[in-house]
Amino acid sequence: MMTSILFYALSALAIWSGWRVFRVDSMIRATFALMVSFIAVGAIALLLSADYIGVATVFMMAVEMMVMGLFMIMFMMNPAGLNPMQMVHQYRFSIGAGVASFVGLSVAVLTTALPVSPLPPGGETLRDLGTELLGNSMLIFETAGVTLLATMVGAVVLSSASGRFGSGSQGAQPPGLTEGGAPAGRKVDAGSGHSHHGGGH
Amino acid sequence: MIVVLAILGLFAFLIASIWAAATLDAVCRGWIAGGGTVSPAFTPLRTAALWLSQQRLTTEAPDRLNALLSIAGYFALGLVGLALVPIGPDTTLIALPTSVVAWGACESLVVVVVFLHGWSPNAPLALIGAYRYVAIGLPIMLLSMFVLIAAALPAQSLDLRDIVTSQSSVWNVIRQPLGLPLFILLGLSLTLRGPFDYADSADLAGGTSVEASGPDRLGWQIARLVMLTGFSAVAASVFLGGYLGPVLPGPLWLAIKTLAIMTVVIGLSHLLARMPVARMMGLIWIGLLPLSFLDLILAGVLAL
Repeated sequence: MMTSILFYALSALAIWSGWRVFRVDSMIRATFALMVSFIAVGAIALLLSADYIGVATVFMMAVEMMVMGLFMIMFMMNPAGLNPMQMVHQYRFSIGAGVASFVGLSVAVLTTALPVSPLPPGGETLRDLGTELLGNSMLIFETAGVTLLATMVGAVVLSSASGRFGSGSQGAQPPGLTEGGAPAGRKVDAGSGHSHHGGGH
Repeated sequence: MIVVLAILGLFAFLIASIWAAATLDAVCRGWIAGGGTVSPAFTPLRTAALWLSQQRLTTEAPDRLNALLSIAGYFALGLVGLALVPIGPDTTLIALPTSVVAWGACESLVVVVVFLHGWSPNAPLALIGAYRYVAIGLPIMLLSMFVLIAAALPAQSLDLRDIVTSQSSVWNVIRQPLGLPLFILLGLSLTLRGPFDYADSADLAGGTSVEASGPDRLGWQIARLVMLTGFSAVAASVFLGGYLGPVLPGPLWLAIKTLAIMTVVIGLSHLLARMPVARMMGLIWIGLLPLSFLDLILAGVLAL
């Protein structure tokens, strides 16, 4: 009984916050409304005795949405995303895609014979999941994981190099596009509008 | 009945530890300034009364909902951390077989709520604090994951209850000497303190709380101390054997160890200097992260 009430409440929260993603006028609100939706789904997974998957969903989504929100703001033409903005584009296409996917998923759910047998109490779901994920594919998972991590550390090593007087690239010149040519990259005009340095001009 | 008692006990401990932490902060501040503090035990109460009676000032077009949610969320995450901690054999308020992962989820949500707190006032210094915090808060959290997995290895379980019982012969702080120091760095970051205070620091005139005033400011500061208590309780359970100890009852041992960790965190937050963000990024990824791998490898070899 309690589980049913919680299930419906969490489902309602997931759907409502998912709908809010498209109705709010701020990047950050949209991002974190999506996060709330995922967290509600994670809590439903907890109700279904999928302890690890439920908690890991919350964990992953919090980090992912944080990073996604920052990158969206970074690459938007609207600096910092502080001004209200429209969250929806391509109305006709998105309405069509939304209706089609809703109908498709509903048909899939209604026509599938979903298992109704509850889990035996005291089942080792965590152990089963670990064996399922890492039983035969341990090497692949581990190799991919370590490679990705090494890439991340490498990226930080390259980008955060600092010298004595600021960033490591300060005063450095990019190599020329042709051998012995002028350095590549943006040319900075010397002395355009900066005549207040004092009598040098 | 036992649940009600546990909840009441936790709340009583929470209030006491918040007051103790605020007092200790006042003492440290006075000691570092060289003058000492007049009646440090009453300073937090006086400050709280001042903030409560202060008018609430707002900026132009703030995100009011997110401001409230960030304060309430920070408070709630600290409470969840405290509730995950076992206060006796098989006794926790939130009984989860994956409670270490649940604590990890709390850590990652802290980054979100601190960002929202800096975002919502719609003001530049607060926003800079929020961005800086995300840049440092995410990698330091990654590091704590490795440390926590290392602590879970000897217990062969992701349950904090099993991790505590696995320390009955020797505490994790001795078995994995790198673990606690690295985890305490995370605590400094989670509670926005000292060398990891990139959110609310003085160089941004208060950072994410530069625009917070009145009850909002009080709520945020209390939430920080609740998170400090929650973090210290988790650290005491993972590395210092939690409720385990001779003679005294288990909850009392847990309280003593929690307060000890809290004292160390507060002391470090006043004694260590803060680095520029880029340097800290380099230190975390190039220095501390490999250290946490080393911790994990040592723990794995020992567990084999």
